[in-house]
Amino acid sequence: MQKFLGTVLGKSVKAGLAYRKGGGQALPGLVVEKLFPSYVGAMLNKLPEGVVIITGTNGKTTTTKMVVHLLKANGKKVLTNSTGSNLTRGIASSISQHAKISGKLPFDIAVLEIDEATARRLVRMVRPRWTLALNVSRDQLDRYGEVDTIASYIKAAMEASEKVVVNADDPNLLKAAQGLADKRVHYFGFSDKLGRFFPNDYELAAIDAPSRQSKAAKSPDVQLADFKKRSATYLINGRKYSADLKLSGQHNFLNGAAALALARQLLPDVSAEDLVRELADVPLAFGRGEKYRLKGGGTVELVLVKNPASFTQALASYGSSNVNLMIAINDNIADGRDVSWLWDVNFGPLASKKVGLTSGRRAADMALRLRYDDIGVGEIEPDPIRALSRLDHKSGEHVILATYTAMLRLYAKLSKSAEKVR
Amino acid sequence: MNRLDILHLFPNELNTYGDHGNALTLKRRISWHGLEPVFHHHHPGGKLPPRVDIVIGGGGQDSAQADVQNDILRIGGQIHELAGAGVPMVLICGTYQLFGRRFVTSTGQEVKGIGVFDLETIGGPKRMIGNVKVKSDFGMLFGFENHSGQTFLAENQAPLGIVKRGNGNNGKDKTEGARTNNAFGTYMHGPFLPNNPQFCDEIIRLAAVNRYGGFTPREIDDSLSVLTRSAARRRHY
Repeated sequence: MQKFLGTVLGKSVKAGLAYRKGGGQALPGLVVEKLFPSYVGAMLNKLPEGVVIITGTNGKTTTTKMVVHLLKANGKKVLTNSTGSNLTRGIASSISQHAKISGKLPFDIAVLEIDEATARRLVRMVRPRWTLALNVSRDQLDRYGEVDTIASYIKAAMEASEKVVVNADDPNLLKAAQGLADKRVHYFGFSDKLGRFFPNDYELAAIDAPSRQSKAAKSPDVQLADFKKRSATYLINGRKYSADLKLSGQHNFLNGAAALALARQLLPDVSAEDLVRELADVPLAFGRGEKYRLKGGGTVELVLVKNPASFTQALASYGSSNVNLMIAINDNIADGRDVSWLWDVNFGPLASKKVGLTSGRRAADMALRLRYDDIGVGEIEPDPIRALSRLDHKSGEHVILATYTAMLRLYAKLSKSAEKVR
Repeated sequence: MNRLDILHLFPNELNTYGDHGNALTLKRRISWHGLEPVFHHHHPGGKLPPRVDIVIGGGGQDSAQADVQNDILRIGGQIHELAGAGVPMVLICGTYQLFGRRFVTSTGQEVKGIGVFDLETIGGPKRMIGNVKVKSDFGMLFGFENHSGQTFLAENQAPLGIVKRGNGNNGKDKTEGARTNNAFGTYMHGPFLPNNPQFCDEIIRLAAVNRYGGFTPREIDDSLSVLTRSAARRRHY
C-alpha cells in the first residue's frame, strides 16, 4: 500500500509541477521521501540485479554514464539518475516516475550516482550489491568540513554494500576498505608510470617530501596501462586492450578503468575485448567538454572545475595546448562558498601564458590567484554571459573552465545561441 | 641580495583550505620588495634551520594534528625562543591551536600545545564555517573560517582583532585570533595573506627590521587585492 501511494503521489506531484516552468525534478522526490522514507528502499530492493552506487569526489557523472552504457549495450534495462539530480530525493523522483501502478519497476538494475554524504544516507534504505568508490580529495570543505569526514561517508557506504570496487591508488579509500573481507573487494588503478598524472589528495598539496607515491598494494582487476591523445590502453587479466574514446581528458581514461572493473563483475559473460570496444562509444556528460561553434567562427569548449583535483586535471588536459582560456568562478552554495581551494590548484601548465578572461562572482579572486603565479589576465568580467559574448567574434579555440553554477548559465546560453559541434 | 629565512611548519600535514597560498604570497611579496625568500620545510623529525626570520603554519584535519603533535612538542622550546626574540609568525587554524596551551577534542581527549599563546581550545559540536571580517591594528582583515574547535583566550592574552562578521575564536566573545609579541594566530583561511597584503607586508617588515635593522618597501601593484577586498567588505553571506 505504501509503495502504491508513494508511486501515485510522486506521479501526481510531478504532474502538478508540469504546469510550472522548469524541470522540477527534485520536488516529487522530496515529497515521496518525506512521506514514505521506506519507499525508495522498498522499490530498489526489488530490482532483480540490485543496486549499484557510484561515489567519490570526481568522475561520478561520467563513470555512471559509462557503466550504464556498458550495461545497456549488453541488453540490461537500467534505472539511473540521469537528470543530474544526485540526491536521494532525485532518485525517489526517478523511481516514482518510472514505477508501474502495480508497484513494479521495469528495470533489471539501478546504477546511481550519489554524492558522498547522500551515499551514507541511502545505504540506510537500500543494501547495494556494489559500491564503486572512485577517489577522495579536498572538495567543498565549507560543506563537509574535512576530507576525513568525506572518507568516512564512503566507508559507511562500502561497509553496507555486498561488494565494492575501489581505486587501488587512493590511500584514503584503501584505508576505508581495510576492514572488509578480501573477497568483497575488487580494485581498479593505473600503472606506475602514470603516477604523476593522478595525484591523490596528499600528493596534491605535498611539498618536496619523499613522495608517498601510492603504489597500489593490491593488484587491480583493470589497470589503466597507458594513454595517448584519445587512445587508452587497459590491462585486464594480463592482456592489453586499447580503444579510442569519445571522451577526452586523462581523468576520463581512469574513470574508464573504474567502469570496466565494475562492468566485468556485473557482466561476467561479456569479454574484456567487447567491454573496452563498447566503452569507446560513451558520449560526453554535461560540462565535460561539450564544444560549440561561435558566430565569429571560433569554437568554445565547456569544462567543469569544482575542486583542486578536477581543476588540476583540467589544466593538465587543456593548459598546455594552444587554446584561449577563460575561467569562471562562482561562490554560490553549489559551487562552495569558500574559494580558498583555488590556491591548491597547480597552475604550472599555464606558466608564461595568459588567461584571456576571468569571470563569475569571484572573477577578481581568480585573477589575484593567477597573479601570484605570474600568469596575466586579459580582462575581468564578473558576468559570465557578458564574458562569453567577448569570445563571440574571436576566431580560434576557446576553453571555458567554470564552476557548477557558472557552467549552468553558460550552458543555457550556448545551447540556445550556438551550434553544438560535439 | 638580502635574504629572509622562512620556516614552514609541517607543510605536508597542515595545508588544508589553500593555506599553501600563504607561503606563495610571502615568497612573491618578499621578492617584489627586493629581498630573497628562502624556505625551510619542516617535516616531523627534522632539524630547525640555524636562522629563522619568519614562521608559518597552516590548518589541518584533526587526524593530521595528532600526527604532528609529538614533533611540535619536541621543537617547542626552540619556537618559544624565536617568539621571544620577536620573530614574526603567522599560524593558521590547526597550527594556531597547537600554539595554545591545550586542545580538548570533542571525545574528551587532551592534546597538549606549546603555549606560545595563553589559550585553550575545546572541540565543539558544530563547525563554524563562513566568511569573516575582523577589525584589527592592521586594518580590516578578511578570511574564511572553517573550524569546530572553540578557542578561549586567557584574560591577559591579546586577540588579533575583533569580529565584525563571522564567529572568530569561539562564536561567543567576538575575539578572533591571538597576538603575542610578533606571533599571530588566526582561524582565517582564504588564504589569509593574499587577501590581506598589508598584513603580509607588516610581517616582512618586522622580519627585515629584526635581521637587517631596516626595511624599504617597494611599490607593489595591489589593484587586484583592492578589488577582492572591496567585494569582501560588501559580502553579506
